Amino acid sequence: MKRLAAVVALLGLASATAACSGGGTTNTSGSGGGGGGGLFTTIDVTRPGLDASGPANPWAPKGNSFQGYNAMKLGWVKNHLTDPNQFYPGIAAKWEIAPDNSSITIHLQPNGKWSDGKPVVAEDVRTSIGLAYTTGSTAFAITPGAAGAAAEVTVVDDKTVKVTQDMSNPSMKFARGVMDTWVVPAHVWGSILPANFWDTLKTSRGDGADAEKAREEILALGQKVLAFAPPKDVSAGPFVLERVNPGEALLLKNKNFYNAANVAPDQVKFLNYNGNEQIWNYLSAGKLDHSGFVAAPADVMNRIKQAPGSNTIKGFSPVAVGMAFNQSKKPYDNVHVRRGLAYLIDRDQVTKVASPEGGTPAVTTSGIHQKPAQEWIGAELAALEPYKHDLAKAEAEFKEAGLQKKDGKWTLADGSPWKVTMNAPSGFSDWISAQENIKSQLIEAGVDAEVVTVADYPVYLEELSAGKYDVGFWLMALGPAPYDIFQRLYGVSNGWSNVAGKVKHSAPGKSGNWMGGPEEIDVEGVGKVNPGELTAELNAASAEDAKPIMAKLARTANQDLPAIQLWDYVNTQFTNTARFTGWPEQDSDLLRLTAGVWIQLGMIKAKQ
Amino acid sequence: MTIIARRLAGHLARGIVMILVVATITFFIVRSIPGDPVAANVQKLIEQGMSAEAAQQATRVLYGFQPQGSLWDQYLDYMTGLLTFDLGQSITHAGAPVTGVLAEAAKWTVLPVLAGTLLSFLVGIILGVYAAIKRTGKLGDVLAISGSLLHGVPQYVLGLLLSAIFATLIPILPADGPVDILYEPGFNAGYLASLFDHAVLPVATYALAAYGGWILAMKSSVVTVLGDDFILAAELRGMKRSIIFRYIARNAILPLFTILALSLGLLLGGAVFIERIFNYPGLGLLLIESITMRDYALMGGAFLIITVAIIVANIVADLFYSVIDPRVRSGEEVSA
Repeated sequence: MKRLAAVVALLGLASATAACSGGGTTNTSGSGGGGGGGLFTTIDVTRPGLDASGPANPWAPKGNSFQGYNAMKLGWVKNHLTDPNQFYPGIAAKWEIAPDNSSITIHLQPNGKWSDGKPVVAEDVRTSIGLAYTTGSTAFAITPGAAGAAAEVTVVDDKTVKVTQDMSNPSMKFARGVMDTWVVPAHVWGSILPANFWDTLKTSRGDGADAEKAREEILALGQKVLAFAPPKDVSAGPFVLERVNPGEALLLKNKNFYNAANVAPDQVKFLNYNGNEQIWNYLSAGKLDHSGFVAAPADVMNRIKQAPGSNTIKGFSPVAVGMAFNQSKKPYDNVHVRRGLAYLIDRDQVTKVASPEGGTPAVTTSGIHQKPAQEWIGAELAALEPYKHDLAKAEAEFKEAGLQKKDGKWTLADGSPWKVTMNAPSGFSDWISAQENIKSQLIEAGVDAEVVTVADYPVYLEELSAGKYDVGFWLMALGPAPYDIFQRLYGVSNGWSNVAGKVKHSAPGKSGNWMGGPEEIDVEGVGKVNPGELTAELNAASAEDAKPIMAKLARTANQDLPAIQLWDYVNTQFTNTARFTGWPEQDSDLLRLTAGVWIQLGMIKAKQ
Repeated sequence: MTIIARRLAGHLARGIVMILVVATITFFIVRSIPGDPVAANVQKLIEQGMSAEAAQQATRVLYGFQPQGSLWDQYLDYMTGLLTFDLGQSITHAGAPVTGVLAEAAKWTVLPVLAGTLLSFLVGIILGVYAAIKRTGKLGDVLAISGSLLHGVPQYVLGLLLSAIFATLIPILPADGPVDILYEPGFNAGYLASLFDHAVLPVATYALAAYGGWILAMKSSVVTVLGDDFILAAELRGMKRSIIFRYIARNAILPLFTILALSLGLLLGGAVFIERIFNYPGLGLLLIESITMRDYALMGGAFLIITVAIIVANIVADLFYSVIDPRVRSGEEVSA
């Protein structure tokens, strides 16, 4: 036994030695003052997981930069139902958007400092915008003519930056694109951008070989930006990354944060996860102070609710799930078949089975989430066909489509068998449950049906895009910006591509057009509509101009049903009130932001 | 020594050829796995609240890390890189070298699996001897049944059971990663204790899962040796029981050492389910992640490292047997 004990001790020592080799020797004592709120434990459900070797880099796909904690943006987008340009302050204290959306002037927090004590200045923002160009997204796209792209970035003074929009193809989301910028310290990141960067950017906006070369150079820099690992995390947020191991990350309070006095937690611990069941266990054990929503079966949800201090807050989530059709395939090319299925499927029942905590049944199928639909189309919403569960109407629609009912079973018009085959990716438990429930409902109504589970999400998307499926689930109604809402139904997947403001339509089966709907639809009471072109118009339309377009598109989607809107997602957040208070109210727009933003705004307080 | 040196040279040559063949096969298999990672990444970013346009742009930059050129060009690049131990760059880990990512994960697989395997080996062979000697008694029955039971239960069931009992019902042990981040890394008591605490359940799972195999194999081996003439001769000569016991154990353990060497070769494969249950970020989890993300370089690297470990273990097992068995050392033919 002595030998055994010695071996065990040696193994323990070996394990410790190996693990120690990757760690630093920094001090764990909090660097921040005030608050004294202790440890805030959370999990970042929107990320693929921690990476012990990952950099503190907000652009890195698997880095250790946590939004609102040690990673800061100019402002935090509120995701207002109809106005994409509303924000909470971040690095920027205030901002002015020109009435015609042609520019935004940003005033930085007067007391903003980096964790190393240096002030946050306009040059930091300019450098960060330069870095954003290299990853080429939102307002800082280098694609010529991209909607809502920034034209000029001007440092007005040490604390003020002005960004103007290229008005040749304006977008209502321009200000949002600017405010949504990560801001990093120029004195740490500046070396990535070559001295001639801004000249290269200017060249890239032209035509010809030089411009093309300049664009390639800028995009090549993007790879450096994504992989950049600062030797030490320098943050302007409420916390700074102290260290990370493969299971957890530790952040300490940043005493230089401009609102440090109101930041309660001294430390934040992020737990890693590699599956929903681990998050369920953390929540059931009361370990987490906060977690975003994860789908969970009813018994698990009950277990979570029973944990001491367990609490949920619910609000609007700008996403819905739709049962989408491949209209290149029979009988789904016939609108009466799609309508028949819409009447036949009891959406209340589907939602209750698939997502009782995370969804509400769609009241109708309009392409818009129920909540913003009220704001965008108001009374028009009541005029839409609700497609309430009605077997008689379903039968009438199937007959209208020429389907036949023999011995209680529906067949195609020529008498051949009809089986509704639904596909879902493995691991998407709510989608699979929903499809199983729909299958039962269909079979009970005489429609043969099956659910086919696909290996994983990449395979699902590849096969969906290749037109292999008859019916699949598809996320839709992605608000709050009107264009984003409808491009899921009338964008690339249905044939319309919008490049630099020019809309082109591809034939079914080409260029990602797997929905294969008609290019023009005759909508009752509206006339002929090209929904892809209408959707593209939303890109630059003001809120008032967008409303009639949204109404037309909602009517089109409601009549033509490229997808049956099944349920609207509900933003459900798990919190634990045992250690902290001051959580956002039910239905607060803050629920669309991370708990790091709640903390930095001074809401979260230690429980006394 | 000449025979061993000759054997080693032969093994190494065969091993290198096998590694190159496996690397080639792996390269093409990995790239033939269906699924569009680019589309999947766009959808994932959209679900996280990014606009479709921005998600496409971000994904385009991210997948700039993908190797360019035809499949043949990529293959040549891959094989050239292999000669310098360069396995390419990971996509999911923002262009980090695959070798570095694998090395980081490997330590979290090797140490717990090694500890579990050696622990189960030690306990298994000791109890295996007792089970054989006491095979007609109650103790023998109990030991044999324990071996059969644990040999039949899959690793992940054991892991889930241990996790449910000791991390949820009676929460005395952690099941959430390799160490508590609050302890400063280093040779301090808190950190070492945390490492040990977090390793208990995974190591116990590996040990319990392997224990059944060892005890049954050892028992069977000892029973065979017990019937050998030299044991009978020793008993007739009136040798002490403890000496006879050592004779039995030494001779019965020989074939088990070979199995142990091969088991160690499987270390790097990790145990995907165990790592998942205990959130242990080793090679098993990394492999799953790389497959999910279609991170070709990482997938290829993970498969390759497992292959190399098995080939090396085979070579070591063979040489080891040469060293511990005089008949092999002298070049004498030994029947299996």
